[in-house]
Amino acid sequence: MSILESARSIVASTRKTKRGFRQDRYAPYFFISPFYILFAIFFLFPTLFALVLSFYRWGALDTPQFFGLKNYDHLFKDPVFWKSVSNTVFYASCSLFIIVPLALLEALALNSKLLKFRVLWRVVYFAPIVTSTVAISLVFRMLYNKDFGTFNGIIMALGGTPVDWLGDLRAAKLAVLGVVIWRWTGLLAVYFLAGLQSIPEELHEAAAIDGATVLDRFFHITLPLLRPVMLFVSVIVLIGSMQIFDDPQVLTGGGPSNATLSLVQYLYTQGITNLSFGFASAVGLFLFVVIFILSLIQFRVFRGFETD
Amino acid sequence: MSDMKTTRRIATVAINIVVAVIGVIIAYPLVWMISASFKQTTEIYQFPPMLIPNGFTFANYARLFTDWPFGTWYINSLVIALACTITVLFFTSLAGFGFAKYRFRGKGLLFFIMLGSTMVPFQLILIPLFIFMSKLKWTNGYLSLIIPFMAPAVGIFLMRQFMNSIPSELMESARIDGATEFTIYWRIMLPLARPALAALAVLTFLGSWNSYLWPLTVLRTREYMTLPVGMATILGGMLVGSEPPIGASMAGATLITIPIILVFVSVQKQYIAGLTAASVKG
Repeated sequence: MSILESARSIVASTRKTKRGFRQDRYAPYFFISPFYILFAIFFLFPTLFALVLSFYRWGALDTPQFFGLKNYDHLFKDPVFWKSVSNTVFYASCSLFIIVPLALLEALALNSKLLKFRVLWRVVYFAPIVTSTVAISLVFRMLYNKDFGTFNGIIMALGGTPVDWLGDLRAAKLAVLGVVIWRWTGLLAVYFLAGLQSIPEELHEAAAIDGATVLDRFFHITLPLLRPVMLFVSVIVLIGSMQIFDDPQVLTGGGPSNATLSLVQYLYTQGITNLSFGFASAVGLFLFVVIFILSLIQFRVFRGFETD
Repeated sequence: MSDMKTTRRIATVAINIVVAVIGVIIAYPLVWMISASFKQTTEIYQFPPMLIPNGFTFANYARLFTDWPFGTWYINSLVIALACTITVLFFTSLAGFGFAKYRFRGKGLLFFIMLGSTMVPFQLILIPLFIFMSKLKWTNGYLSLIIPFMAPAVGIFLMRQFMNSIPSELMESARIDGATEFTIYWRIMLPLARPALAALAVLTFLGSWNSYLWPLTVLRTREYMTLPVGMATILGGMLVGSEPPIGASMAGATLITIPIILVFVSVQKQYIAGLTAASVKG
């Protein structure tokens, strides 16, 4: 560095502190304040309100009345609540064990150099990510129709007996799951694809020279290196499926006999349809605790990324 | 060596077949939807369905605009999604800039609070926010769908991550030239953050355009509904035995999804960049 340059930088640094200092002090608060104002009004206040509300009995027309833990007591004694919990756990576990492996498979195939029309397939595979859930659920409602739907059309063409997809207790659950799988696989494949593309090519080449087969390379290179992405994706799937609402709402309305009712649908029905504000807030708190635990796991996973 | 060649050939065929089969399964509902939207009801009932309708008709689309306020729903959705996108871009980039480029007292705690808020599911505040909006008389209107969502924490996090990677030297020299802090944000940071802004814009627009739970909660009057809420009522109100407006609902579903998919194809890169930046970068 020449003397002139260093002199210039010294001058610059002193001027910077002189001029910039006063503004630096208040400017950042000004920049971040819109978030905290909106946060306080539309997030923190409602959150605390929900907490308080869950200890009150409050319908739309009556005056709020302290209720202690009775909302929670009623909640945990309501078989419909437990039905919605078990349905939601069903969606979550099926998503985890079907969608995650499927998405990985999709990403592997889409990433393969042997694939033709790659651009076309990427567009097709990722279309579900941007598709409105309400719209696609309406379409699936037609495809599941027991008289003219495609599913039964195929079953009958193969000589089977048609299924009442949206009316049968067990089939309806699978029907909702079908839409969830359709919607989610592409999204998760995007994450896996990003993970796959960050694996250096040389690793595979070196292993191939050493005589490792495709399967060897998959289990010993790809899979271990994808572990962080895998964990992240799994948590995303679990948190997402705890919040399932749109698909069963449009497809079945939670029926038949609550066979497809999700936890959030239960909350919506109690709070907005029946206007039991206090009771529904207790449901919300239950959901919060579940998601909070899952989020903590997610942060752990993130930290794992940073130390790696 | 020839062994390698045959395995390679088998692998090529296998991969292409698997991708094609899954691809067709994914595309099928969308293709069926578009096809059915141009069919008469009697033809929708036929199996196997014809890709190109025999009795090609625009009646379903026409009906959408006469029997339901579909045009109004479309405008509602568009205005809300655009307003959300513009405000979100402004407020998140501003806050992201504050967090990325300044040192200030309480920064760690403030950042922690912001990030911690992402752990609270929206459904927890659904009921209180609904009561609040009713008291403000904001239900049945645009405000309840825009104002509470103008500064999402995830967006701020994304902008901060991106702006962290922009060198601070540019700011310093601008300061020497006497630029105010806001000018530095507006003139220097914002143009440089364009890739992150584009990704966030796509995410925000889509999130708003497709959202259902909250609009369903606050919008009761037909004229104020957004597309998903209105669309769900088309089949929702149908009586058993009456002729369901299947064609019309498929026409509506086509108009919600297809323009978005076409736009998505053109901005695919930004969208995927945004998705993965919001996640993997951590």
